[in-house]
Amino acid sequence: MKIAIDAMGGDNAPQAIIAGVQRARDEFDDTTFLVFGDEAQIKPLLTDNTRIEIHHTTEVITGEDEPVKSIRRKKQASMVLAAQAVKDGTADAFFSCGNTGAVLASGIFIVGRIKQIARPGLMPTLPTINTDDGFNLLDAGANASSKAEYLYQYGRMGGFYAEDVRGIKNPRIGLLNNGTEYDKGDDIHKEAYQLLKADKAINFIGNVEATNILNGPADVVVTDGFTGNAVLKTIEGTASAMMHILKHNLLESGLKVKIGAGLSKNAFKKVQAKFDTARYGGAVLIGVKAPVVKAHGASDERSVYYAMKQIHEMVAKKTVAKVITYFSSSKTDSK
Amino acid sequence: MTEQEIFDKVAAILEDRFDLDKTKITNDLNFKNDLEADSIDIVEFVIELEDTFGAEIPDEDAEKIQTVGDAVNYIKEHMITKE
Repeated sequence: MKIAIDAMGGDNAPQAIIAGVQRARDEFDDTTFLVFGDEAQIKPLLTDNTRIEIHHTTEVITGEDEPVKSIRRKKQASMVLAAQAVKDGTADAFFSCGNTGAVLASGIFIVGRIKQIARPGLMPTLPTINTDDGFNLLDAGANASSKAEYLYQYGRMGGFYAEDVRGIKNPRIGLLNNGTEYDKGDDIHKEAYQLLKADKAINFIGNVEATNILNGPADVVVTDGFTGNAVLKTIEGTASAMMHILKHNLLESGLKVKIGAGLSKNAFKKVQAKFDTARYGGAVLIGVKAPVVKAHGASDERSVYYAMKQIHEMVAKKTVAKVITYFSSSKTDSK
Repeated sequence: MTEQEIFDKVAAILEDRFDLDKTKITNDLNFKNDLEADSIDIVEFVIELEDTFGAEIPDEDAEKIQTVGDAVNYIKEHMITKE
């Protein structure tokens, strides 16, 4: 298998990317890594070039670039050429830590949308409080507007991923709504509920509420891109704020509290570990013709390694092929 | 490449992309109004036009392409075709 990597995207590129790729290379001996980026910067970082091919590129898409325009105009960018390698059949999957909008545009317009999928969705895996299983949230923001049909397709695609990559048998699919009763929500969500319910091949458990999703009521939480993005950022923001408040209060308090904090150190470490989402890999753009994974811009070597592991699993299990086969043979209308 | 040949190629793209019956594709067919195409559909279509006819369509020109006739005329006037 071959994975095309944009080595120049993200805050810690190319160092973290190359370190993560080398760690993955040592573990997956069936995989070759096609690394797209500035050879002069990448070469000195390689301690061993076994199964790592450098493809020299001369342009970089930055965080400030307008997504669609940049992928159409910066044809020699590391991100564009890595995605192009998948389109040309040279690579099986595409990875980047770069500009999120440009990664989505590269996935949709270069790798290409699966014909029957109306709109690909962005799908991170988020932590759950009581287990280590986590849950998938999609769409986390690839699309600003939505239709019931898109939500149904997200449920189906998320189910394939949860089963293949996370090893969950018969994953529970929930629809994020403003109440658990079947008739909650706007027209789109009411219609999506009925579409998901009508598909007897999936384990649709009905509506789930935002207040409860971290308790893991569903393995896949389906939502429209606008809401999904707000939910994702609220979870991240709340977790960060809580940690900040806790830290501030402990440091500003008297000796007794500081001693108590010292004694509770292990519990704090466990809280930190719970919100460490690197082990789940990056966010998958699902609904395109090959695995496309976007990791956080601040990804370190470990995050990149886990993303490689995640991609390896998706390619080995042929998750995208299952999505294509399913939607090609179903009567689902893509519009 | 003749206008008819350009039209046939554009029609083939639309036929595949929007699951259209070939007989319903005319020069007047409007992407947004008749096909309910949104911005993603239109960018995909423009990129496929560029790949098919081998040239770049600047964004400001792409925005003016609203019907099949607009696309055919644009290609006829601007593109160096992949013969």
